[in-house]
Amino acid sequence: MKENIISTDHLIIIVTATIVGTMARALTIKEDFRQYPTYPNGYLIHLVTGFVAASLGAVAIPALMTKNFVAVTFLALAIQQFRDVRKAEKESLKDLENTESAYRGDAYIDGIAKTFEARNYFALIVSFTTALTIQLVDSKFISINIMSGTITGLIVLYVIKRFSKGKVLGDIADVKEGKIEVRESELFVDGIFVSNLLGTENAANMFQKEGLAVVIIPREEHFRIALDHYGQRQAALFEATRSVGVKRYHFTRKEYEKGKIVITLVPIIKDVNKLIEAVKKTPVLESVKKSHSVMDTNLFGRE
Amino acid sequence: MGRESSERPTYTILAIITLKKERILGGSQLALWAENEEQQKTMTQDIAKAMKADVVKMKNGDYLIIRV
Repeated sequence: MKENIISTDHLIIIVTATIVGTMARALTIKEDFRQYPTYPNGYLIHLVTGFVAASLGAVAIPALMTKNFVAVTFLALAIQQFRDVRKAEKESLKDLENTESAYRGDAYIDGIAKTFEARNYFALIVSFTTALTIQLVDSKFISINIMSGTITGLIVLYVIKRFSKGKVLGDIADVKEGKIEVRESELFVDGIFVSNLLGTENAANMFQKEGLAVVIIPREEHFRIALDHYGQRQAALFEATRSVGVKRYHFTRKEYEKGKIVITLVPIIKDVNKLIEAVKKTPVLESVKKSHSVMDTNLFGRE
Repeated sequence: MGRESSERPTYTILAIITLKKERILGGSQLALWAENEEQQKTMTQDIAKAMKADVVKMKNGDYLIIRV
């Protein structure tokens, strides 16, 4: 009977690795200025899936050590589970599209969903390396095993977190306040035409008095490629409307000559610094990002 | 604009309010004729408020009521 019970060593590996893995997921759940995931249900869902991911990573080493090679194939199951997390996230955000002040857009939703999937891999990798370290150290002192496993797990978390960290608009462009001007029924920001939807006097007056605008100016010519992407601009507009609210109207427009992007709206909270901060912190979408240095390479194929 | 035009939001023209009868040529939208500018403005605002729509004042003096 006792032979069928899991050994203390393996139990320590599994428990420690699961805790460190779940902790890794908990540390990467950010309720930042984007207010996503929303407290508390969003937290719970992602903590539980993180716990499952960590458990799968934790039992892999004990399974291998007991020559239970077939059991390792459940890692494939884990991948499937994470894909489902991505799918669920995508569906949920798409369902919400019609209720938001501005659309997130498909590109932004895809980016968010991918991030959620990736963070489950964090939990899996961290718990796996924690378990592996404990197995390799294999000291007779339990505390040394646990400490070494935890430290390695945290280092791995730091490294993959750095690796997966993306850029934000503030890294590639300057964001400054734009001057709103309404000429008859047309809206201009810093002289750039934005919209002619201000056909009534009320609309024109409202925009003139209460409107806020920011202009995004690319720092390098090649950053225009990312900024011109419709999904990227939509993401910036979404973050802008999320941070200061929308009383009425929101527009985005690109200027062709220098690649400036205008974001303007009539906000609920008239705080231009908040608006600039939100736009600066909008992530540069993965689907938009291009490596400029790769475009310059001349390894083969050219004389 | 390229792909941008095919992205959401899509606009629908709900009504056109004009001062010249001959500019009413048909179409799916509501086309109304106003006798003077004051009446034209009032009609535009009333419809726009009821339909929660936006207004475009065209350079020729006509008003378009558009819904996003």
